[in-house]
Amino acid sequence: MTEPATTATPPSLSAKLLGGLLAVAGLLAIALLFASIVAHPDVRAGFDASLGDARPSWVLAILDRFGLLVPALVLGLGGVTVRLGTQVARRHAGAIRLTRDVSLWAALFAGVITISRALQGTPWVNAGGDSVATGLAGGVLAAGALTVFTVILRVALARLASDPTLPTEPLPAREMRSAWNLLLPALLILVMVAARPLEATVVTSLTDKRFASDQVPNFVGFANYRDLLTVKLDTLECRRDDAGACEVGRDGQTRWETLPVDTLREGYRSAYVINLPLVMPNDRAVSVTALDAKWVRSIWVTIVFTVLSVSGELLLGLFIAMTVHSSFRGRGAMRAVMLIPWAIPTVVSARLWELMLKDTSAGVLNSALLNLNLIDRPLAWLTTASLQLPSVIMIDVWKTAPFMALLILAGLQTIPKELYESAKVDGATPVREFFAITLPLLRPAIGVALIFRTLDALRVFDLFQVLLGRAQQSMSTYNFDVLINDQQAGYASAIGVLIFLLIFAFALMYVRVLGVNRE
Amino acid sequence: MTGKQIKHVLQRTGFYVLVLIVAAYALIPFVWAISTSLKSESELFGSARLIPQNPSFDNYVNVLTSASFMGSLGNSVIVAGGSAILALTAGSFAAYALGRLRFRGKQTMLYAVLAMTMFPQISVLSGMYENVRNLGIFGTQAAMLYAYPLFTLPFAAWVLTSFFRGLPREIEEAAVVDGATTAQIFARILLPLTVPALVTTGLLTFIVSWNEYVFALAFTLTNPSAQTVPVAVAQFAGIVEQQEPIAEIMAAAIVVTVPLVVLVLIFQRRIAAGLTAGSVKG
Repeated sequence: MTEPATTATPPSLSAKLLGGLLAVAGLLAIALLFASIVAHPDVRAGFDASLGDARPSWVLAILDRFGLLVPALVLGLGGVTVRLGTQVARRHAGAIRLTRDVSLWAALFAGVITISRALQGTPWVNAGGDSVATGLAGGVLAAGALTVFTVILRVALARLASDPTLPTEPLPAREMRSAWNLLLPALLILVMVAARPLEATVVTSLTDKRFASDQVPNFVGFANYRDLLTVKLDTLECRRDDAGACEVGRDGQTRWETLPVDTLREGYRSAYVINLPLVMPNDRAVSVTALDAKWVRSIWVTIVFTVLSVSGELLLGLFIAMTVHSSFRGRGAMRAVMLIPWAIPTVVSARLWELMLKDTSAGVLNSALLNLNLIDRPLAWLTTASLQLPSVIMIDVWKTAPFMALLILAGLQTIPKELYESAKVDGATPVREFFAITLPLLRPAIGVALIFRTLDALRVFDLFQVLLGRAQQSMSTYNFDVLINDQQAGYASAIGVLIFLLIFAFALMYVRVLGVNRE
Repeated sequence: MTGKQIKHVLQRTGFYVLVLIVAAYALIPFVWAISTSLKSESELFGSARLIPQNPSFDNYVNVLTSASFMGSLGNSVIVAGGSAILALTAGSFAAYALGRLRFRGKQTMLYAVLAMTMFPQISVLSGMYENVRNLGIFGTQAAMLYAYPLFTLPFAAWVLTSFFRGLPREIEEAAVVDGATTAQIFARILLPLTVPALVTTGLLTFIVSWNEYVFALAFTLTNPSAQTVPVAVAQFAGIVEQQEPIAEIMAAAIVVTVPLVVLVLIFQRRIAAGLTAGSVKG
């Protein structure tokens, strides 16, 4: 093996020099990380004895400002860079090729940072609000220098890798290297936009942090979760009138006794009073009280919404899919029409239905129902408590049933036609055909569509936020309300974590049902 | 006509009535919005009729000359377009690896990407808000560009993976025999074959970003000039302050919806295929 060229011809950067540069860059990144943590004013304040009791916890300051993920990532990548540097210096073929591939991303990334830094403060990204951008010119310069450095690195490594004296690499190793190299940008982006915010949310959920506050929060342990999850069940008796029978209010509902004073004093508030007619005597009811009754109500509202809207969508979707599946003139146009409710932004369709559901003369649904003599006066769909949830469910079904139909249609198209032909020969009725052939063979498609839609419905935000505001809240709009309006970032984060765990459990189920092993 | 023929005609008629009902179900709210957007404010308080008495485009003129609404339209184009390009770029690389290459850890990555497509945005809102503030981009379009890959990237990667898988493997093998590198195979052979898939996926991610509301609402609270259209439509106040300008809201709604509807009508076959690939086929 010859020494890398050290003559004055262009490919003159030696492997040793490049490897050394890489190692220094890795060490520099780690050093910068430590310097910025140690120099951070909030972390320093944690060690400042003169602050006395006002001294914030430096552990929380680090967790709140930096988290663990990004430092760990910098440490890991810095370490890998140092190691790769030493390997490149020894002309290790795999290391040279890997570093060459990865340096392209590094150069691109540095370039994007430079451009976005340079754009900051221009009309395109008018930094309004409480933006904390500082050191603009310095940032552009540093990122620009990094870009130049990585581009040079990339060019030099490409020269080094094209050296014909390097050993060739076997195909599986090459595939492996390309695969992870191609996944790298997506992984890094997902770490930044998913893992890092999730980490910040989990950290915040253990504190009493206020929304948009720059103070180092206090550690409160699981207090937020305890407040969210404490639920108490009591039985209540009905109020008796003089004759000893249960009192019935004007609305036809039984009146129940008030909650015990002690329960109220401990902070419990009533979420629901439920009487189950078949399993309980008429004069008893279960009272569900919780430290956060609004949260418990939002869970119940979300569950009712999910169950009813998803089953409505399934039935209607099945009907639409069966209709569109048969061959007729204009089938293509029909399928396009079905996509329209899906394509309309949910916020827009919410406002559209808001108009159609009005109880003034502009409300078309009310005037249609009046004309058909189904109602005798206009109904205030969105302001009457008992009609709010049905209205939202109706709108969601309208928007999503065609989408469900598309998923089912894809399943219908996989059923072989011969099955129906032989069923016809055997003299099966269409109804029997449906239950004996169509439905069983559609089961996988329906199963997947159901879980997919359930996950969507559990996350519902737009419809509730636009149409009902604070009148009735889904889990998501309650979370938003607590975070933005009540400014309780710590508590809201705990809600967010609970929602995440719930959705994650469902997502695992979905992934298992679907299976990804289809090589 | 024999009894059989009559029965056939009746069946056929009944069937087309069904089809009409389905079409009306999907279209009527949209048609109603168009009709409302052509009415004057005073006509709105008369009876609810489908055909406007004096159709006029005044509401559209008002909406399209409103600086704040046009600003939000521009913001949405930047945010949705940028998100689509970003998701397509990073997503197509990842999808090529996941759909075509053999490597250790692939199964785990596939599971991770699929699970990520269902990530609940609301749960990371508080953390995302902090990150966006620390980056100094709160209240800007850049905040949305930063946050949207959370849902566009896994979605694009997943849909593209299923498209990449559908391509015959022989093409690649022939290229490998001819001595092409992975980069050459990707750029010269697979990419041209997947242009339709890229167009579809780009369109889908564009629509999803265009319609996004949670982040857009939270990140533009203090700076209305960075609002995207869903936020603008949700908070549309119009020129007359006292009353809710229903007709103008509907005109605004039609303006932001028509581009999507046109795209959907042109690419309906592809969009339907992409949607089902993203959620049904593995």
